[in-house]
Amino acid sequence: MDEYDELFEIEDQFEEQFADELEVLAQMEEETSQPAQCLKQVQGDDISDMQHLLDNQPSTHKAKRQKQDTGVVRRLFNASQTQQRNVPSQDDNITPPSSPEHYEPSNTFRSTPAVLDISGLAEIPETPRRPVTSPPPSKCVLRRPPLEGDFISVTDSSGNRVYLRQKGEADTKTVNSPNRISPNSHSALGLLALPVRVLREQEAERHHQQVVESQRLTELLVSSLNNVFTDSGNTEDQENEDPQDAEGQTSQLWVERFSPRHYTELLSDDFTNRCLLKWLKLWDNVVFGRERKSRPVRSDRQSANQNSFKLSQGSQNPNRFKSKMEMTEEILEAELDQYKRPKYRVALLSGPPGLGKTTLAHVIAKHAGYNVVEINASDDRSAEVFQKRIDTATQMKSVLGANERPNCLIIDEIDGAPAAAINILLSALNRKDTHGGDAGTETAKKKKKEFVLLRPIICICNDLYVPALRPLRQQAFLLAFPQTQPSRLSQRLAEISTLQGLKADTGALMCLCEKTDNDIRSCINTLQFLHGRGLKQLDSRIIQRVSVGQKDQNKGLFYLWQEIFQLPRTKRKHIGKGFEEAPGSGSGFQRFQHILHLASSSGQYEKISQGLYDNYLSVRVRDPKLQSVSEALDWLLFSDRLNQVILHGQNFSLLRYLPFLSVTFHFLFAHTHVPRISYPHSQQEATSRLLSSRNALSTMLADIPASIRSRIGQLHLTLDVLTLLLDIICPKLRPVNPQLFSSREKELMRELINTMLAYNLSYRQDRTPEGQYTFMLEPRVEEVARFPGLPPRRQLTYQAKQTISREMEQEKMRRAEQMMLQRNPSPKEEERKSAGPKPTRNHQQRLENIVKQTTVETRPEVDFFGRAVGPRPQRPLLSSDSGEKCAVVAMGTAVGNSDVWFRFNEGMSNAVRRNVYIRELQ
Amino acid sequence: MSLWLDKYRPTSLGKLDYHKEQATQLKNLVQCGDFPHLLVYGPSGAGKKTRIMCLLKELYGPGVEKLRIEHQTIVAPSKKKIEINIIASNYHLEVNPSDAGNQDRVVIQELIKTVAQSQQIQSSTQREFKVVLLTEVDRLTKDAQHALRRTMEKYMTTCRLILCSTSTSKVIGPIQSRCLAVRVPLPSTEEVCSVLTSVCKKEGLLLPPELAKQISEKSGRNLRRALLMCEACRVQQYPFSADQDVPEPDWEVYLRETANAIVSQQSPQRLLEVRARLYELLTHCIPPDIIIKGLVEELLNNCDGQLKTEVAHLAAYYEHRLQLGSKAIYHLEAFIAKFMAMYKKFMEDGLDAMMF
Repeated sequence: MDEYDELFEIEDQFEEQFADELEVLAQMEEETSQPAQCLKQVQGDDISDMQHLLDNQPSTHKAKRQKQDTGVVRRLFNASQTQQRNVPSQDDNITPPSSPEHYEPSNTFRSTPAVLDISGLAEIPETPRRPVTSPPPSKCVLRRPPLEGDFISVTDSSGNRVYLRQKGEADTKTVNSPNRISPNSHSALGLLALPVRVLREQEAERHHQQVVESQRLTELLVSSLNNVFTDSGNTEDQENEDPQDAEGQTSQLWVERFSPRHYTELLSDDFTNRCLLKWLKLWDNVVFGRERKSRPVRSDRQSANQNSFKLSQGSQNPNRFKSKMEMTEEILEAELDQYKRPKYRVALLSGPPGLGKTTLAHVIAKHAGYNVVEINASDDRSAEVFQKRIDTATQMKSVLGANERPNCLIIDEIDGAPAAAINILLSALNRKDTHGGDAGTETAKKKKKEFVLLRPIICICNDLYVPALRPLRQQAFLLAFPQTQPSRLSQRLAEISTLQGLKADTGALMCLCEKTDNDIRSCINTLQFLHGRGLKQLDSRIIQRVSVGQKDQNKGLFYLWQEIFQLPRTKRKHIGKGFEEAPGSGSGFQRFQHILHLASSSGQYEKISQGLYDNYLSVRVRDPKLQSVSEALDWLLFSDRLNQVILHGQNFSLLRYLPFLSVTFHFLFAHTHVPRISYPHSQQEATSRLLSSRNALSTMLADIPASIRSRIGQLHLTLDVLTLLLDIICPKLRPVNPQLFSSREKELMRELINTMLAYNLSYRQDRTPEGQYTFMLEPRVEEVARFPGLPPRRQLTYQAKQTISREMEQEKMRRAEQMMLQRNPSPKEEERKSAGPKPTRNHQQRLENIVKQTTVETRPEVDFFGRAVGPRPQRPLLSSDSGEKCAVVAMGTAVGNSDVWFRFNEGMSNAVRRNVYIRELQ
Repeated sequence: MSLWLDKYRPTSLGKLDYHKEQATQLKNLVQCGDFPHLLVYGPSGAGKKTRIMCLLKELYGPGVEKLRIEHQTIVAPSKKKIEINIIASNYHLEVNPSDAGNQDRVVIQELIKTVAQSQQIQSSTQREFKVVLLTEVDRLTKDAQHALRRTMEKYMTTCRLILCSTSTSKVIGPIQSRCLAVRVPLPSTEEVCSVLTSVCKKEGLLLPPELAKQISEKSGRNLRRALLMCEACRVQQYPFSADQDVPEPDWEVYLRETANAIVSQQSPQRLLEVRARLYELLTHCIPPDIIIKGLVEELLNNCDGQLKTEVAHLAAYYEHRLQLGSKAIYHLEAFIAKFMAMYKKFMEDGLDAMMF
């Protein structure tokens, strides 16, 4: 990648270097080049001579030079070592430099008229088109930086650095130092600015274009047979083209043939078109400004460029649509980010098929000067391949070939792409410069180019709400395609049909538009189909009768529900009489068929019936006797039963009866008002809540001891036990310390705790968002037992709950210890015995030595800190023995005899410790 | 063990408080050391499980009371793992196959069959058979019940089944015919009162007979609920007063209010409100058939005598549909809509008759 980029850049420099000379040499060319003039003279006379002339090109002055040059090339290839020396010697012979020559032939070709018969032209490119020159030496190549004027430093692979004067006189030759070849010619292909193969392709393309053009002409001729076209040359053309033309007609769809090639031909909504174009233009700064970046005089030029950009933007995009969609407007006006990219780095076009999304993207990308790279569903879109393609499309540029334009990536049909691929796209969008802030330095710039996305990406999808697209939606510039205007569409259809010699009145075409829901593709296809059947006359009746052009389109659930709950409005007056029979209107039979068709084509019967159920009571029903409501419910029961049978017996042939539910609802509840339909959440909500209460109950049941567990099931718990149990565990407690309870109260408390433990209930301290602490009953069965809207039950106070919770913890520990004792009484006994004389482990470790030292002869009464309390004289006695030992002895006796001990630990609050057993906490 | 319910539960057949005749019959049945498969049925809170445990104790001795909970995982043929809790002693095991939902057939096939197939090792000291207690048999799917049929016959020597259900109507005929059916009816009001009084006596409390009567009526003679209510009353206010408020389960109150809402107004809007309440009930784990039953009881109280048969008929019809279908809320709403339509028509007709 690195190398590539370098090469790339050098090439850029090279071109820039030549930019000025090119002009001059192009002028020289005009004077010197004979063949071009010859061509111009010849072209009018005889077309057949053309081939001859082109074949004879070597006889011209320039071609001679070419011959010499090819010789040079051979020598270059044969002895690359000697070549280096040869190069300077040749320099004198060759006066015109290489680069202008590169452009010369293309100039000549451009001058050939498009009307040419190019039947023989395919062979032409075999002759060496590109004159090959080795770079001539120049005084502009300096070993040191020139004192005045701009220059470019060039370093070759061997590390030699030379300086090229940038702004020389017109005759300056820009080449590398004599002992090296230029980087351009370094690659073998580089001897020609365009390799022969590419040239051939170009030629073939041009050939094709001309064929197409002439096809059009002939089509025009064919269509307007009335007008006799008398130009002999053209008729000749026509005769020549005829076989090809017929071939083209059969193979090519009209959709392809009449697809718009220019921005102005686009049929889709103007606003959408403009928005997309404007968005694309936002990229100009980063994409086209980039060419100048490598220049030393970057700063002023770039600013100039920016100015011009702003100007051009202003002129191209007048703020006409400010009132229309301010949101989109804002997005487009938003500032560029640190890499001068628009805020939304990807555009996402969405809309039903046949509105021209793909066409729009292509046309606009071309219009804005990009080279279109398309990825669509037919390509492999697995993650790795996708990554590679994105990288190549956005980071590379075609070096070879005439169209050296920056790429614009169009990802078509993205809604079908796997989520992994979309994630890759997102990561490409969000790639950040690894170097962070210092974007000013040259190295950082280079790195940045590799990592950051600097090319526009346009994504196209039909369904914007595919789950996989969700993350992309948030980062994309969304453009929803509105319906194509039928008037515009029919106008275009009229153009096409007149071109094809099909007589169609506006009414018929409008009818066609309506039938296909303004789907351009479908319209044109239908036209072609009708034309292909030999029809010359088209009226609305035929359109009505024809069964093509109707899509089995999934309309979305909301549309369906709306259709069901809404009576069709009487259609506005249209031209032509076919419109009274439009789907959905008119008689009951047709409504029946319409709804049935919609329901069965959507296929999501479960969702549909759920939506109907959730909404049918909220639509304005005038049903005082509740007859239709109960009938509707009977139908719901029927479909529920049907569903059960289908799922249970896998009897899917019954599925065909499910859509009739929608029809029934339509006839029962359809109303002229626009229904307000909400998405059916109720069932899902109910299921999740049911699940959570079930979970609460089962967690409660899970730890209930077996003897009780065998007596209560989940059902008993909900129906009988729970509410009353919650009442029972809320006794009246005096708000005092539990140690001050009377014996009766203590008894009560013990029972309460027993109950709670037996039924696996406990209090857990929770913090509310307001910062208050509350005790919650765990597991949360309260939610299961309590209903909203009922008088609240008595609740324990926070303090009571706290007391209970504390007591419960103690009881649990007590029980656990008891259980341990029961399970393994013998080791416990031993432990307890040993616990008497021995201190516990950790302070044993610490004070082992001290304790060992002390012989516990006397047991003086000591206070908390080990000072003797009882007989006073003991202390002086001990200390009088010997200072150090006395302290140790005192400590040892203290540790050995009492179970309270401490160790001085600076900054620690738990210095004083005592071992406490649960069984002692009665 | 501190709820009165658990504390004062009788543990032997001799100590049972009511249906003493049946208790002696059961005792006689076990006396000879063997008994057929049993199908114990009766309404909730009548003491089925108590009776069964007493019977088992009679059979095996106090070892039956040492219970433990085992968690077993069974892998269904579809590779789905089913977790099921088994409460077991050394002599018997208790399974609620309906915990496994639709996969209960697998539980029957795998678990019960393996238990039934295994022989007792020391038949001299123990009985020759184990007992498998299946609870909530009425919630078993038909498949599971069919799976049970052959198992019951084939492993008769090593295994006895005791099936426990609230009604026999959902137990298929073949199983009913293989079992000795034992019906445990609800205790009478007096019996409930006497149980309550004796329990209070043991607790050292004095229960006024009026309150006892009120509790037993409110509990619908469901002894479990009666005892809990009594204890809740005790917590509410100790020196009992005769006209004390007896706490009721919230869902019953809620259901009653729902029924009142239905009767007070009949319109689509009201139906929508009722739907929200029904959802509320359903999400609180109240089974739909219980809801429909409770509704009918409440609605019948508010209905004219002429309508009663029709309402009952409707309820039966929709309850049946409910069992066949899968979305309970549709069926409940359908019943309510139908009732509303009928009730409204009846009221309007009545008004018209009054006018003319």
